[in-house]
Amino acid sequence: MSANIRPSGVFDTAYAQDISINRTRFDKFLANGLFVLLLIVPLLTIEGPLAANILPQSWIGVLNRIAIFVIAVQGLNILTGYTGQISLGHAAFMAVGAYTGAVLARELGMTFWIALPIAALVTGVTGLIFGLPSLRVKGFYLAMATLAAQFIIPWLLRYPLEGLTGGSRPLSVPEPTLFGLSFAHENAMYYIIIPMSIFLSLAARNIVRTRVGRAFISVRDNDLAAELLGINVFSYKLQAFFLSALYAGVAGCLLAFESNSLSLDKFLLDRSIEMLAMLVIGGAGFPLGPLFGVAFVNLLTQNIIPSVIPTLKQVLPGFLPFINPINIDAALGPTLFGLALMFFLIIAPRGLAHRWEILKIAWKIRPYSH
Amino acid sequence: MTALLRDNRRLVTILLYLVGLLVIVALFAPVIAAQRPARLVQSGITGLLVGGVYALIALGIVIINKASGVFNFAHGWMMLLGGFLFYSFFSVVQISPVATLALALLTVLMALTMIGWGRLRDARVLGAGALAAIVITMLMLVEIPLLRGIVGAVCGSVLIGLAAERFAIRPLIGQPLFAMVLMTLALSEVLHGIEQMIWGSVEIPLSLFAGIKDLGLPAPIRFEMFDSNVIVRTELLIAFALSLLAFVAFVAFFQFTSVGLAMRATAENQKLAQSVGLRVRVILGVAWAIAALLATVAGVLQGGATSLSLNMPLLALRAFPAVLLGGLESVPGALIGGLIIGLVQEYANLLFPGTQAGTELAPYLVLMVVLVIRPDGLFGQKRIERI
Repeated sequence: MSANIRPSGVFDTAYAQDISINRTRFDKFLANGLFVLLLIVPLLTIEGPLAANILPQSWIGVLNRIAIFVIAVQGLNILTGYTGQISLGHAAFMAVGAYTGAVLARELGMTFWIALPIAALVTGVTGLIFGLPSLRVKGFYLAMATLAAQFIIPWLLRYPLEGLTGGSRPLSVPEPTLFGLSFAHENAMYYIIIPMSIFLSLAARNIVRTRVGRAFISVRDNDLAAELLGINVFSYKLQAFFLSALYAGVAGCLLAFESNSLSLDKFLLDRSIEMLAMLVIGGAGFPLGPLFGVAFVNLLTQNIIPSVIPTLKQVLPGFLPFINPINIDAALGPTLFGLALMFFLIIAPRGLAHRWEILKIAWKIRPYSH
Repeated sequence: MTALLRDNRRLVTILLYLVGLLVIVALFAPVIAAQRPARLVQSGITGLLVGGVYALIALGIVIINKASGVFNFAHGWMMLLGGFLFYSFFSVVQISPVATLALALLTVLMALTMIGWGRLRDARVLGAGALAAIVITMLMLVEIPLLRGIVGAVCGSVLIGLAAERFAIRPLIGQPLFAMVLMTLALSEVLHGIEQMIWGSVEIPLSLFAGIKDLGLPAPIRFEMFDSNVIVRTELLIAFALSLLAFVAFVAFFQFTSVGLAMRATAENQKLAQSVGLRVRVILGVAWAIAALLATVAGVLQGGATSLSLNMPLLALRAFPAVLLGGLESVPGALIGGLIIGLVQEYANLLFPGTQAGTELAPYLVLMVVLVIRPDGLFGQKRIERI
């Protein structure tokens, strides 16, 4: 790993230095600088307080979405990337967080700041329940159990809890406020979402470096050997499920308050698949994997695919006369996404973050090749 | 006390199961008793008939899992693709000869190059392949819709099966499990897009069983029971009979042919099979082709019984509980599991009307219970793990 390769002359002289995440001064400067840059972004848009039309307003929405999904995929990374348990029900856990937060705010008049942790905890407990089958099964079987969660949870939200959640109809969510300040605007939500996302990403990074995190990794690498070493495999699997669902709950709750309206269509199976795709494209088991994956998949589905669709729409019916031109718009999205995913799985099965590590090492040891 | 519990673990487990069963019965007995008996019989019959298709889908999933250890999430989309292909060749009058020839050529090419491109250097193989492609094309253009449909759907599904194994699954051998899971999910996205692109998202009725009235069969079949009518849809009944027939045919293929024997051997132990001279790569391809064929049969029968639409893959998702209930490696388990899931679905729909409980909840609840209580399923092998 590149973390072990440092520029020559950089030594650890204290334990605090050894365990810090940013080990060199340059790293620290880069990280803090990036954070400040991120915080400045809303000020430079037209709807910001300065009304400076330097950056397009659409960036804020995109960055918000990316940050929210980074939180969700960080959770998935803890479960799938580090602990090795496949989850096909992550979107359903997000739905639990989103609806808990929204219902608490609507029915009990709770503020966002209390609703968010409660929603996260409720989601975590839901995750524990659906993690119970991991006591006896793993691999494909566990994927099946989480698939069951992906169907059972939306059903529960849609029919028995219809009085609270509004069933299939969209549900409006009150805006978060703090000391009289309203966070209704996306520029304001930005200042909740981005720090939260960074904080939770760092927390995930640190959880993996603790005793618990090392136990997760040993469960992933060989669960039987881990058990022989005295690791309580079931307990750690449940902890991973809890943490993962907690992250999903936070992400879901943020999503609900960010868009101010909520509907179950956002949390279906294809969303779970998309999040798993984000994780694998980004790199499962790498701290930076979720960021790369979410950013790339967002770029792919929002920018790259829509930009090639008009060309393909012109070209394809000429080549393949049996294609129905009416449906081509709706159909090209999943086709291209699936093909891109296949391509990535074959070319880079370990993800972009792995490539990034290789690149970093190559840069650090230049001009030598190894 | 603990010693007593430990010494009689089996008994305690059985007792616990019994208690659970009693609780379930006590919970459901009033609801069931409130229903009219005729409705119960009606749901039972419909459930069994629906279960036939589930069994067929489950068999396809079990075959792929046995052969290559992959759980195929794209089975539902393969099923719909087969149904759509059958529809195109069966119902559409004008079919483009060029597209037909292309389909036949691609299928023959995929089948010939299963081992490697080197086979194509042999002139005799090339000639035989070209001849086969032309014969298939002729068959797909004859004026008998049923024959046309069958040849077209078989050809297309074999092509899809072989292509999926070759371009999606084979490159991932040795990669982590979730890469494989994601690959079949990506495959289902691609198939979804292709199907929507060609056939659209409108529901298409497949008039496969339109001729039953001419045969003199009543449609639907009605009979008197408990002073009210029980209605059995003839299309469902025929689809069920044909599913069972297909199920038996495929099982017989595995039991009594040499290819089936080779496939069973490969499923048992890949390295051993390879060392006695079986071509494992070919067998994996054949397994995928057969599973795609099974999916197509299920898709066509289901499409004939109801209609073809983009909702059909959800049906295949409900077959997953059937697979796990029967046991992931078990062929008879697929049949029993499919029938049970069909029954559970129909009864849940009957008892909790208006909530989609049967189609959206009950099968997955069964799945959770199976995974917690008996993860190997009813007939699955107990897995012994070594480090």
